[in-house]
Amino acid sequence: MKKIIVDSLKYKYPGTDNLALNDISFEVEEGEIIGIVGKNGSGKTSLSLSLTGLIPHFFGGGYGGKVLVDGLEVRNSTVTEISERVGYVFDNPFSQMTAAKYTVYEEVAFGLENMGLPREEIKKRVDWSLQLLDLESIKEKYPFDLSGGQMQRVAIAGVIAMKPQILVLDEPTSQLDPEGSEEVFQVIQSLAQEGITILIVEHKLEKIAKFCDKILLLHEGQLIDFNHPQEVFSRDDLKDYGIMPPVFTRVCRALDIKNPLTGHYPVTLEEVTQLVKNHE
Amino acid sequence: MKMTLYVAKNSIVHKSDPITKLTYCLVAAIVPYIIPNHLFAFVIMLLSISLLLLGKVFRKMIPIYILSLFLLITIVIIQGIFHPDNVTPLFMLGPITFYQEGLLIASLLIIRIINMLSAFGVVILTTQPDDLIEALVKKGMSPRIGYVIGSVLQIIPQMSSMVGTIMDAQRSRGLETEGKLSTRIKAFIPLIGPVIMNSLIATRERSIALEIRGFNSKRKKTFLRDEKEFLFGKPYQLLLILCFIGAIIWRIFQ
Ligand SMILES: Nc1ncnc2c1ncn2[C@@H]1O[C@H](COP(=O)(O)OP(=O)(O)OP(=O)(O)O)[C@@H](O)[C@H]1O
Ligand SMILES: [Mg+2]
Repeated sequence: MKKIIVDSLKYKYPGTDNLALNDISFEVEEGEIIGIVGKNGSGKTSLSLSLTGLIPHFFGGGYGGKVLVDGLEVRNSTVTEISERVGYVFDNPFSQMTAAKYTVYEEVAFGLENMGLPREEIKKRVDWSLQLLDLESIKEKYPFDLSGGQMQRVAIAGVIAMKPQILVLDEPTSQLDPEGSEEVFQVIQSLAQEGITILIVEHKLEKIAKFCDKILLLHEGQLIDFNHPQEVFSRDDLKDYGIMPPVFTRVCRALDIKNPLTGHYPVTLEEVTQLVKNHE
Repeated sequence: MKMTLYVAKNSIVHKSDPITKLTYCLVAAIVPYIIPNHLFAFVIMLLSISLLLLGKVFRKMIPIYILSLFLLITIVIIQGIFHPDNVTPLFMLGPITFYQEGLLIASLLIIRIINMLSAFGVVILTTQPDDLIEALVKKGMSPRIGYVIGSVLQIIPQMSSMVGTIMDAQRSRGLETEGKLSTRIKAFIPLIGPVIMNSLIATRERSIALEIRGFNSKRKKTFLRDEKEFLFGKPYQLLLILCFIGAIIWRIFQ
């Protein structure tokens, strides 16, 4: 089933002349993990926001084309309606705390209180997402006393508890140290196993090459490629779009080692190891 | 760090309905102005202080009383010496004469101020801010206003969390942030810009984060916290309001 359909999406921020998103079309199947890449200003955040309805409803501006999330047309729905289907997590864990709650537990429950769910259901869901994000041991802590990685996990828990079908993450690890990032990546993978469709903007290509089903490459608001990681990361013109392929791909390209099965340069450590093993 | 003034204690005052406490606070603070009588104001003041004692939070009020001392002394001096109604000299301090009329007025003012501080203390020190806000929202206050009050109470811990992060960043770039006071002040100055910038950005981003979590939902919100059973509910609130109305009527027919 198609979870996301984007059809000829065009978008311009108010007071600007350039299209931040220029005629973008793609479709995402249920349960897929999509990595969004592109250099600074290529439109990654704008695309993420257009899936949440914040574009156009919060930002305004010029809008054309069509975005359907889980069957709902974004332009004709409110951000609140969409928020029950599409979760959104961004880079700054600090500003994703409500700043009105005193414990992690209550912080995670915030969205559910707004949804007006029965109290028992709220408790069940909060417990579920605290467990999924490994936050049970700190559920009584004050949110602003947490580390960045912990806060980001709380932010994800708060969104996940609303049981969105689709989760959009915009550079969720950019403000975290390696350990914190690793925690978040683990979580994203376990969420995908729960059947949630995931779109993630991420600069750590080694990571997303490994667990994304497809990569969406953006450049100056245009969709350049939407394909499997091997295909996208072994493109010859990747540098033109300001992207450094994953280190494994670069090494293999220098040594001219291709994966005979795919005909592409390998993109993950696993793939390289497999090739070397087969070679021996 | 939890920067609220709330003191967790097990007392009958803590267990009382937040709205009743708030009503008490307002009525007790205002009525001594409606009924300008020394004995009456004094009794109300004793009542407020007894509530503090009953709530086991009187000691927390002492610094506040001490802080207000400066104001109180000023009142005594100014009224005692300069009040226009002053005619009856009471005592002399060196060349300065204190008058009975002014001192009487000053003492009423002092009682009212101590009473007001104590009555506010009863609410602030014995009520969890969330409980109070939630009770008010249930009474029909807009959840937005509730949110604003709640988050204002968290500005200080928020800021210090942010300063901590920025300070770490500055330190990793080699800035000295510890040691002598002068070093710390020097380290603080370059923080001011980023803290203000970050606060502005955080406010915009937070409004996005709230929106995405359904804060603007038109549905009836659920209150997660268990319906706490509070003592002294509605009837007592009514009683307090009746006292208030009674005071006004007394004043009119005086
Ligand atoms: N609020 C805004 N108002 C006006 N123009 C904006 C706004 N946000 C982004 N833009 C512009 O839209 C274009 C796309 O920006 P966007 O933030 O989507 O890029 P990005 O790929 O997320 O970049 P980065 O890697 O820096 O996060 C850029 O040219 C940017 O300057
Ligand atoms: Mg961005």
